[in-house]
Amino acid sequence: MNPMPEKTRRTVPSYCYNCVAGPDLLTVKVENSVATEIGPNFAAAEIHPAGGRVCVRAFGLIQKTYNPHRILTPMKRTNPLKGRDQDPKFVPISWDEALDTIADRLLKIRDAGMIDDKGLPRVAASFGHGGTPASYMGTLPAFLSAWGPMDFSFGSGQGVKCTHSEHLYGEFWHRGFTVCADTVHCRYILSFGANVEVTGGVCAVRRHADARIRGIKRVHFEPHLSPTAAASAEWVPIKPKTDGALMFALIHTLLFEQPRDRLDLPFLRDRTASPYLVGPNGWFLRHPQSKKPLVWDERTNGAVEFDTEGAVPALEGRFTVAEAVETGADDEEWQHREIEAATAFTRMAETMRPYSPHWAEQICDVPAQRIRNLANEYLDNACVGQTIEIDGRTLPFRPVAVTLGKTVNNGWGAFDCVWARTVLACLVGALEVPGGTLGTTVRLNKPHDNRLASVKPGPDGFMVNNFNPTRRGKWEQRPSGRNAHKTLVPLVGNSAWSQALGPTHLAWMFVREAPDNWVRPSYPDLWFLYRANPAISFWNTAELADTVAKLPFIVAFAYTHDETNHMADILLPDATDLESMQLIRLGGTKFIEQYWDHQGVALRQPAVAPCGESRDMTWIATELARRTGLLERYNAALNRGAGGVALKGETYDFSLSTDEPHTVEEIWDAECKAATAEFSDGKDVKDLAWFREHGFYTVPFTRQDWYLYPTMVDQGLRFELPYQERLTRAGIELGRRLHECEIHWWDKQLGEYEPIPRWHDTPEIWTNALKKSGADPADFPFWGLTTKTMQHSTGNNAAIQLMDEVAGNLRTHGRVAINRKTAEKLGIGRDDWVEVRSIVSSTRGRAELVEGIRPDTILITGQFEHWATPYAKELNYPSLNTLVPMSLDLTDATGSGSDLVRVSLRVVEGPAA
Amino acid sequence: MKNDRAAGGRPRLQRYWDLRAACNFIGGGTGTGLVIAASVLAMFGKPFVAPLLTGLVFVALGLTAILFEIGRPWRALNVFFHPQTSWMTREGVMALPLFGFGAVALLLAWFGGYGNADRALAVFAGLTACGFLYCQARILRAAKGIPAWRDAALTPFILLTGLSEGAGVLALLAAFGFAPDAVYAAALLLCLLRLIAWQRYRAGLAHRNAPEASRKALDGIGLAFIGLGHVLAALFLIAALVWPPIAAVAMIGGVLLTLAGWFSKAVLITRAAATRGLAIPRTPVRGRGASRAVAGNR
Amino acid sequence: MTRYVMVADLRRCVGCQTCTAACKLANGTPPGVQWRRVVDMEVGSYPDVQRVFVPTGCQHCDEPACAAACPTTATHKRADGIVDIDYDLCIGCLYCAVACPYEARTLVNAAEFAYGAEPTAAEAARFDPRKIGVAQKCNFCVDKIDAGTAAGLTPGKDPDATPACVNACISGALAFGDLDDPDSRVSRLIRENKHFRMHEDAGTGPGFYYLWDKDAFAL
Repeated sequence: MNPMPEKTRRTVPSYCYNCVAGPDLLTVKVENSVATEIGPNFAAAEIHPAGGRVCVRAFGLIQKTYNPHRILTPMKRTNPLKGRDQDPKFVPISWDEALDTIADRLLKIRDAGMIDDKGLPRVAASFGHGGTPASYMGTLPAFLSAWGPMDFSFGSGQGVKCTHSEHLYGEFWHRGFTVCADTVHCRYILSFGANVEVTGGVCAVRRHADARIRGIKRVHFEPHLSPTAAASAEWVPIKPKTDGALMFALIHTLLFEQPRDRLDLPFLRDRTASPYLVGPNGWFLRHPQSKKPLVWDERTNGAVEFDTEGAVPALEGRFTVAEAVETGADDEEWQHREIEAATAFTRMAETMRPYSPHWAEQICDVPAQRIRNLANEYLDNACVGQTIEIDGRTLPFRPVAVTLGKTVNNGWGAFDCVWARTVLACLVGALEVPGGTLGTTVRLNKPHDNRLASVKPGPDGFMVNNFNPTRRGKWEQRPSGRNAHKTLVPLVGNSAWSQALGPTHLAWMFVREAPDNWVRPSYPDLWFLYRANPAISFWNTAELADTVAKLPFIVAFAYTHDETNHMADILLPDATDLESMQLIRLGGTKFIEQYWDHQGVALRQPAVAPCGESRDMTWIATELARRTGLLERYNAALNRGAGGVALKGETYDFSLSTDEPHTVEEIWDAECKAATAEFSDGKDVKDLAWFREHGFYTVPFTRQDWYLYPTMVDQGLRFELPYQERLTRAGIELGRRLHECEIHWWDKQLGEYEPIPRWHDTPEIWTNALKKSGADPADFPFWGLTTKTMQHSTGNNAAIQLMDEVAGNLRTHGRVAINRKTAEKLGIGRDDWVEVRSIVSSTRGRAELVEGIRPDTILITGQFEHWATPYAKELNYPSLNTLVPMSLDLTDATGSGSDLVRVSLRVVEGPAA
Repeated sequence: MKNDRAAGGRPRLQRYWDLRAACNFIGGGTGTGLVIAASVLAMFGKPFVAPLLTGLVFVALGLTAILFEIGRPWRALNVFFHPQTSWMTREGVMALPLFGFGAVALLLAWFGGYGNADRALAVFAGLTACGFLYCQARILRAAKGIPAWRDAALTPFILLTGLSEGAGVLALLAAFGFAPDAVYAAALLLCLLRLIAWQRYRAGLAHRNAPEASRKALDGIGLAFIGLGHVLAALFLIAALVWPPIAAVAMIGGVLLTLAGWFSKAVLITRAAATRGLAIPRTPVRGRGASRAVAGNR
Repeated sequence: MTRYVMVADLRRCVGCQTCTAACKLANGTPPGVQWRRVVDMEVGSYPDVQRVFVPTGCQHCDEPACAAACPTTATHKRADGIVDIDYDLCIGCLYCAVACPYEARTLVNAAEFAYGAEPTAAEAARFDPRKIGVAQKCNFCVDKIDAGTAAGLTPGKDPDATPACVNACISGALAFGDLDDPDSRVSRLIRENKHFRMHEDAGTGPGFYYLWDKDAFAL
């Protein structure tokens, strides 16, 4: 190390939130005004679950700052032609010219009307991974709020690269937009592709490591031996897309091969809809007057309303009910007398009866006895009947969990998996209790920062969940956004996040070619792009880039030249992670395994001056607001909380004046003060100067609030499982509405609305899609899968040399991983160039022969095949995204698709020219 | 090591030393072989100047090649700082008297010999050449990172190939009248001994489970090395011995013998030098998982 | 006496390479040069296969083969067990590199930077011309240890006296400290767990211990 004069060295606290499993609190070493090192923030060691450690990606931020390929002045396109083959001929311009150009466009759009003649917002915006850009975009949300209608339909991978079905169903069933194990207390985890050692962030990695030393057993199901599979007690190389069948077999084993009283019967009876009586038409039997669902009271031997005081509901059985009604779709009603009804539990058991381990063995390629053993181990470890005291309250202790990963959780079959996982938790009472399966955040319900507070009692004894309406007259027949999330996906609701969780690939597909009886959406007049590169990170990337080229005016906040901003009209260089300022929330419960014993806020601050002409996003947002005449609304939005914290609360008021622009420091000073006042009830107000020195502020967070169970008990609510009456109703109504419009291309998706899921041979959907396209499935004999690495999972850092270098220590990085014996059969050697081809395209990479992958599967890690991004474009790495088609056939009812494709494999001479 | 970090700990080819380093073993081996031969000739009163001079040139060329290999050639003198344990220092140390005795012996011979002083010094040069050659063999044996070098059976091979190469060049010189014909017999004997040492070394590598890449690389040269460098070389030498009129063919035998030695060392340093690899004797227990012993790793 | 050693708990390591990245920043190593790295190993064959992540680097041996081989004494073992290199003495012969059974050593002959011929500002700040043309490897962040101990800190316990890789390790797999101190974390971990050292048969006495299971008989 070079000796440095002491006075020129300083350490700056900050955070990294390049993935949802953060923030990681970090320190930046600055020597002679140059950031040289990233390190943990040991000042947070006591409050951070991983002792203040920070993930590998953050170490790339030094190179990210000083990457010579950065765009460091605003630029404008001078070549009006757009396309991959066109040189954009970007030329530098001043900030004034850039912002005035954008403002002029926006003002003209405002004059023309915010909504175009197809009913769609004229301005659209797309952001990158999982909402993380929000932690870097400063006050841009306040500008977006001030602007008004904005279309977030164009995804950059949302819906297919996340755990989409879990987001929707998890939040529906237990306020679990993201779901994980209570690793701190858990003893047994069945992990279906939940690659938590890679994507769970430092908190998860540390907790699982501690749990391994403690003696946890984690069994990991995945077609390849991922780091999580590696670090598990057992790896089960399951056949792709058959996880649902295996989970059904686990349920079957618990239901039919174990004494019933080994299950958590009180939990099933009191905390789920298991005892609700289901009528002959498949709807809950309801009280004729109150319309409340009925249960069979074993005490009085008669049907009573579910919330009858003192009733002892029968969990299973068939009973004759004297008088009841069923309410179906569109308020269709059936009056019944002396009608026989089964409990929801019984209906579930009947549905699950055929799904024995022996049945699943054939489907999943996992021996029946192994499945049976796993189910029994799960039950043995569930500690049914035991309790634990958490912060003074006695709660059930059920240290078993089932976790799901990407691809298991996306597209066809994902509903089965999320349902089965949640039911597996319910059977042993392990949902939302210490040790069990937990949700950690909400995004479709409010408030986002407190999932417990989002729980409100609904009419049937469940939590309120606001579906998008499907009733005649209420249904949004004419989509208000290009991906039609309100029209097609009732479950996704209409929160600020809903649109980005809609079927985002449909926006890209439909602007090119609308399906039958569907109005082709317009291209937005102006598209904002921030921290997103969909031409790399989404599917069928060649076609997507071509679609981007058709967008008339693109404003891209640009770090370097990349494959999407190649089509942009204006590039704006924003100050990056180590150069800009923002306050965000930390701790409490957030995404993935973020549940802490503390909560608070952390400041990201400029450790070094912004390079070149790059500017803080808050400055840019303020200028956009000022130049578009929206300053007052922008400031008002900030005062309401668009910057993260409401600037005025019951005990404090740090509101900004609305009639003038404020500096970046003024805005974040107010945010700092408001946040600390909020957390301390106004007693402990810290300003920006304090945060610059200390970096973060926390207060204790009770561990009781990790669990939803106490809230459910306190409000007398049940988890809406196992029987899906409400979803089925929504599905039937949606089908009727679509058919009324002569729309039949969503019919397969409508089939997914079932009260109890049944197995539908999910893998065959892919071969059928091939056949439908005219291809012979035999020509595509392998499953192509992708997986993330910690170095490249999100954060758009393919251009960071350090990440590429350290990722290179992992054998499959930048390569096509093939089972060794398969490769031998095909004459493929290590390092040989191979071409992987799907029905839409092909990709090339060097072969890596591994033992830890199924013989029928190949694996391509990360998202590469760049052609514009400096450094990354030289790598010649393959990408599955090139191969995966965007297809209605492969889109499920939630609007999601799986990162999975049928492929062929052959040796080639070298990379594509 | 920068190459192929994703190899998963498997043995891989070292890239620290290349052909320049191999040249030191080639020059040093042939050179010392010649100097040793010269010292024997000197002892028996035979002309020794040509082999001694040629030998010293070979050694000097080998050492010069090293100067092009090392990162900081102008600090080369630091090589003498560690005679306590470093065979490289010892090699350097041996080079000093080798060149000292050799140069003075040549000088004296140039001026008529000063009695037998030139021969005496040539003998001393031969003794130090033995030391130098031995140091070279031990340099490789101390390279614990390269199993193919670390093998004790390599030492006799390195010694014998040095002597053989010296004898081979001497046979060439003899064909031009610079050495007596008796060297053909010596070369033949050394050829046989080197072959035995080679086979013993190769068998030992297989027995001790040296990296497959090393064994494959050495197997790969077998035909040329044994067929041309030994069998054919021996035939020429035998022909020269049994039928003096065609003794000049010993020149071909000598060249083959020498080239084979060079070839084997070039391959040994550059293509057969697989690292041991990184390996673990046991896999860890992850939670309630099972550890397994990994065969062959201690 | 003091004997600094590293402990890597293979049960914890997930191959994230955070240690690798932290080391690269802390020591300013050029592209491709990694003093600390985590090797991705497979054991067995499908489907009975395990994957193990093995942190590695200089093992700071009791009897370092590199130091014995080094002709210049540039590579030397300190009294506290750290094997260090005097960059001003090294001639770059790389005999140490072939002598090391752990592939821990590297040499770069010319300045190399992440994005081509020109260093970034951070690389320029860390560039050390002394490291060109000489052997380099992990030195347990010896400058930090020396500065830390001089300030009364305890290596392995106080971050300011602890190697960057250990500070950075997110899973808690890496631990560092004094093996001669029976109360140190490394002493306790080695005492309480089954462990091995790599290539024990090489006779080098590595100062890098790999934990692989609890020792049921540990006191």
